[in-house]
Amino acid sequence: MSAERGDILVLRPGSVGDDLDAVTPALTEAFVAAREALGAGRPVAVVVDARDLLGQGSPLDAAVATGLLGMVRTLGIEGVKAGWSINVIAGGEGDEAAVEETLAMLAGSSSVTGQLLTVGGANLGKVVP
Amino acid sequence: MDEVAAAQGARAVVADLTKPEGVDAVLDAAGGDVAVLVNNAGITRDARATKMEESAFAAVIEINLVAAMRLTLALEPRYRDGAAVINMSSRASLGNFGQANYSASKSGLVGFGRALAQRWAPRVRINAVAPSLVDTPMTQAMPPEVLEKMVARIPAGRIGSPDDVAGIVAFLATPAAAYITGQVLFACGGRSVAP
Repeated sequence: MSAERGDILVLRPGSVGDDLDAVTPALTEAFVAAREALGAGRPVAVVVDARDLLGQGSPLDAAVATGLLGMVRTLGIEGVKAGWSINVIAGGEGDEAAVEETLAMLAGSSSVTGQLLTVGGANLGKVVP
Repeated sequence: MDEVAAAQGARAVVADLTKPEGVDAVLDAAGGDVAVLVNNAGITRDARATKMEESAFAAVIEINLVAAMRLTLALEPRYRDGAAVINMSSRASLGNFGQANYSASKSGLVGFGRALAQRWAPRVRINAVAPSLVDTPMTQAMPPEVLEKMVARIPAGRIGSPDDVAGIVAFLATPAAAYITGQVLFACGGRSVAP
């Protein structure tokens, strides 16, 4: 799930498909990895498919993506004083360059935390997850 | 529990939904014409992220999220046309100090419901209710000064009552909510938009 990218830890959840037993490990491993990086003073970005935030694909992938968003928001709240930076980037098909650009921005900033950054035109006109 | 259920003309089933046999027990009791499912079971294992045991994170996800998904999916062939699934989420799905696990579980339920709502429409509607502080034995056990501070942040000026939440769940289960699916209703006295 995780990949090193300079000073920022990037977490990209893989699809769990229809495997209910894969959901808890996916979320727990993300939590452990994020906490370790934040404790070491590194920013964290969780990259999810914007369609999963609105449940436009697999229900279990949606659960993981939105679960990660909830976790990130709480870690953002908890880490304000410590200067943690953890965010979610959501992009759709063809938004890879925009995701990379946003990752580069987050790698150099600690002033953004606990936020959902939706890139490109993904989910415009839809409910805010 | 049997007494309470009997008073409503219902039957109580005690089951551990984290185990297949627990789900089977509910399926056996549910029969083949399910009108409403309310996924209300949940636990908390609060701690700051820096102190939170990995097992505490996983336990909350497993019970609050995975068990609810397991039961909801297992009932798929048994829902009647027009059935309603109501997932009990939480205002904490938006983030809450000391609840990384709980936030993830309750936010995950919202995403799961959004996806199923689209997959199962128009036969079954799936929605979520997201309460904030509710007057229960758990909140009654909190130190009064802590509770007072928390209530002060609720625009409605009071703690929610179980009836505040139950009324919304009941509404979502009725045909009056026939055009509502894939949504979250925040029953939090305005807490989700207050400073």
